[in-house]
Amino acid sequence: MPLLIFSENCGFNSTFKILTMGPLIPNDIITGDWNFVIAILIGIAFGFILEASGFSSSRNLAGVFYGYNFVVLRVFFTAVIVAMVGLLYFDYFGWLDLSKIFILPTFLSPMILGGVIMGVGFVMGGFCPGTSFTGIAIGKTDALFFAIGLFLGIFIFGEAYPYFANFYNSGNMGNVTLTDVTGIAAPWFALGFTVIALAAFWVTAEIEKKVRKNMKEYKF
Amino acid sequence: MNRNYLFLTLLMLVLAIGTFFIKKDDVYKNQIKPETLLQVITQPSRYVTTDQVAKRIIEKDPTLELIDVRLPGDFDKFTLPDAINVPLKDIFTDKGQDNLGIEDLNVVFFSNDDIIADQAWVIATRLGYKNMYVMKGGLNCWIETIINPTMPPETASEIEFEQFRFRKAASLYFTGGSTTQPVSVTKAKVKVRRKKKEKAASGGC
Repeated sequence: MPLLIFSENCGFNSTFKILTMGPLIPNDIITGDWNFVIAILIGIAFGFILEASGFSSSRNLAGVFYGYNFVVLRVFFTAVIVAMVGLLYFDYFGWLDLSKIFILPTFLSPMILGGVIMGVGFVMGGFCPGTSFTGIAIGKTDALFFAIGLFLGIFIFGEAYPYFANFYNSGNMGNVTLTDVTGIAAPWFALGFTVIALAAFWVTAEIEKKVRKNMKEYKF
Repeated sequence: MNRNYLFLTLLMLVLAIGTFFIKKDDVYKNQIKPETLLQVITQPSRYVTTDQVAKRIIEKDPTLELIDVRLPGDFDKFTLPDAINVPLKDIFTDKGQDNLGIEDLNVVFFSNDDIIADQAWVIATRLGYKNMYVMKGGLNCWIETIINPTMPPETASEIEFEQFRFRKAASLYFTGGSTTQPVSVTKAKVKVRRKKKEKAASGGC
């Protein structure tokens, strides 16, 4: 009787499909070469929306500190709550696997100090890095000078880095989320931020109305 | 204040509250834990040899349940006596799982080699079924050892000769040397223990 040899694996390879769609590159739906193409598209969209929201005007941006214009707060809070709630739904519908997305590592005290420096720069210069470029794009001189200062700052930071490298790298908490740190489920944060944001929208609208009444001249 | 803002405020609130009701099912609710799987997957006892299978077939062991996980075309061409065909992709279906988890039955998965059978074993184990084995080497090994056994060298031990004699006899049994017709075996009373399906939470209205 001849020896029968059966081949293993009868075309089963294609049976199991990945059910989750995003994130596209970690799931091998598209290759990592698309990174820069996507970055450019997102960058264009980001710049357009910043400009369209009025973020290219330093008066708009600084207005949040003086109480006559809260567009910054509204735009950023809207982005936060839409992304927060939206991602939870995306995860639920299987469009995006939240366990696979990149989470920026947290360095608590360096980040707090960085935030303070950024805020001071924001109120002094009237721009944040991204908005200064949208300002340049529509020809604002102050934005141009802000961007020059920005590069100067980066240069100084780079040169002085060894002096504060220890502090810069201290308190690494890893790639953690609020849920990881507190143990409170994500929907609580989504709801909490939404309520705070919505309350802020209504309260700041009232503040704006009162402050603007006393302003003689206000141009964007 | 603009009416649209009121509408958007309410919409955002409803969506945010909605996130409480979209909790994903616990992945491991219907599955065993990864640690448990790791523990059982490394046990060599999950493999049975072709000799053990042959012995139990010849003895008409009623607790043996052979499951052929190859495609139906291959199953029709050649399989082991009294084997049931459950192609690998059907393991996920209710029909495929009807043959698993039956009390007092030992399931033995086999395929041409043992790779697909192993996959079936892992899937079924993850689904929480027990008493399952994989026939080491699959049908290729079956043909090699049971149907066409090779004589051990003269210097081989008595045990190996004993094994060869058994294999030779088994070969006769399986290739028609036996005069007795394989009688359909009355299996032990079958009690299907199907795992309870958790219903997905349906909406309030």
